[in-house]
Amino acid sequence: MTTIAIEHLARVEGHGGITVELEGDAVANVRFDVFEGARLLEPLIRGKRYDEVAPILSRICAICSVAHSLTSLKATESAFGVRVSPQTELLRELLYRGESIESHALHLFLLAVPDYLNYPSATALAADKPAAVLLGLRLKKLGNQIQEAIGGRAVHPVNAVPGGFGRVPTLDQLIALRGSLMQGRTDADAVIDLVASLPAADFCHSDTVYAALRSPNLDRYYGGDEVMVVSNRSRAIVRAADYRELTNEKAVPHSHAKHSTFGGNPFMVGALARLTVNPRRLTGRLAVAMKRLKLLLPADNPMDNNKAQALELIDDLDRALESIEQLLRAGLKDERPMPVHPRAGTGTAITEAPRGLLIHSYTYDDEGRVTAADVVTPTALNAASLELHLRRAVEQCAERDEAVISKRLQMIARAYDPCISCSVHLVRKR
Amino acid sequence: MKPLLVIGLGNPLMGDEGIGWHVAERLAGDARLPEHVEVICGGTDLLRYAGEMEGRRRVVLIDAIEDGSATGRVRVFDRDFRGLEDHQEHAHHLSVIQAVRLLRLIAPTSFSLLGISISSARCEPALSPSMAARMPAILRQVLENLL
Repeated sequence: MTTIAIEHLARVEGHGGITVELEGDAVANVRFDVFEGARLLEPLIRGKRYDEVAPILSRICAICSVAHSLTSLKATESAFGVRVSPQTELLRELLYRGESIESHALHLFLLAVPDYLNYPSATALAADKPAAVLLGLRLKKLGNQIQEAIGGRAVHPVNAVPGGFGRVPTLDQLIALRGSLMQGRTDADAVIDLVASLPAADFCHSDTVYAALRSPNLDRYYGGDEVMVVSNRSRAIVRAADYRELTNEKAVPHSHAKHSTFGGNPFMVGALARLTVNPRRLTGRLAVAMKRLKLLLPADNPMDNNKAQALELIDDLDRALESIEQLLRAGLKDERPMPVHPRAGTGTAITEAPRGLLIHSYTYDDEGRVTAADVVTPTALNAASLELHLRRAVEQCAERDEAVISKRLQMIARAYDPCISCSVHLVRKR
Repeated sequence: MKPLLVIGLGNPLMGDEGIGWHVAERLAGDARLPEHVEVICGGTDLLRYAGEMEGRRRVVLIDAIEDGSATGRVRVFDRDFRGLEDHQEHAHHLSVIQAVRLLRLIAPTSFSLLGISISSARCEPALSPSMAARMPAILRQVLENLL
């Protein structure tokens, strides 16, 4: 038995990433071991008041803090029957775009591109090709700027509260953001040029089931509550309240994250799933860019998630700009949050975090205190699909060289853009 | 704009791993904080604060460090961070060392790191009793480095 272990995906001891066991040339076992800290945080909010929940859960992850915060608010508002104003919906969607721009720019340019170009890190890439890294940093900063203006600060938004926004951004802030986004849009061609120039990553092909929020309006990350599951053979709709049909979780011994399947099949969530479920988004310059990237949907290569993120990145810039234009046209109102009257009940919300479907579900007592909570992250939803793709990649690799296999597996894992470490961030001494 | 920016890194939901965040939170409300210092409770993604660093004379990062030393020991690492791992371990974001190297491309400022030794990182919203007991000494040492 030969074992290949890739340990440097997580920072928490004992949660090491990917393990492959080979019996001769045959693949005996592939395990993706994910530390899924969100699960461990659920007990922390039991007994908490409804207005304490989002600030706590936004800390699950620094990269996805907007997604956790807004999904949490949406679930709480659903439990109490609160309907937020159209302006709040637009501002939350805009906040989500900011996080998506920031997250995709970080992932694509500072994490994935160095892999494709055989650099060990973004800093090594920056020494030779600073333009690629500076492009990523510029877009990431733009995403941060949106989050800071709308959410109130760069990480862990404080302005978003149950019922709306504690403080509505000023007209000047929106006008400044509009200017920055117009400038940012000029980088769109550079994004597609760079991703189109990357070497093909053609080492894993497999029929894939995709799941994403159904978005009839084509532009929703935050709104909506129906998930569509798409495979080559079928389509199915799952409503937010029935999310357990989708997660159908099963504990596996090697991972904190339970594995999810739908109809017995692993499924993939994230940018590629969103485009597959909502192909009508792909018009105009997105359709042209898609051709340049040679992306065909439904894709059978998980590495295409990187191409899908590039497309979403340029779409996010356009959509964010549109949201601002809409807000300015409607006239920004300094409105207060909708009144919130706690009551006993359950609320479930599903949104599209940058790396895929995110589910928060809470049960409250009649004083508005949490009695049960369930948080299902995109990384947990993707775990079974990622394991399947890792297995296929090993099976389809003609070589049995450990370095070759490891590199391919790391690239596939990274293409899924997983949040493995639950934001653990310590430095180690050599 | 204040010339010295302090960013406390870490996740306050992950026990002692969030020590940098906790220290920053305490510092921000500490009457001994020098006038020329601004403090941010950062999360785990240092690159988010690129904009805040522009125009600063010096940026001091406070983060947890796993070096086998006693819990709560404070060590100062200067601009080249010699002796610290710098390879890309995260699937999700960059290590602090890598982030600083990139930030130097866009924010030409002086960075130093105050590493606080920890012995465990687990899902816990509070510091361990041994780390909490060390907090006054940690704050004193951090403040000495901000003068």
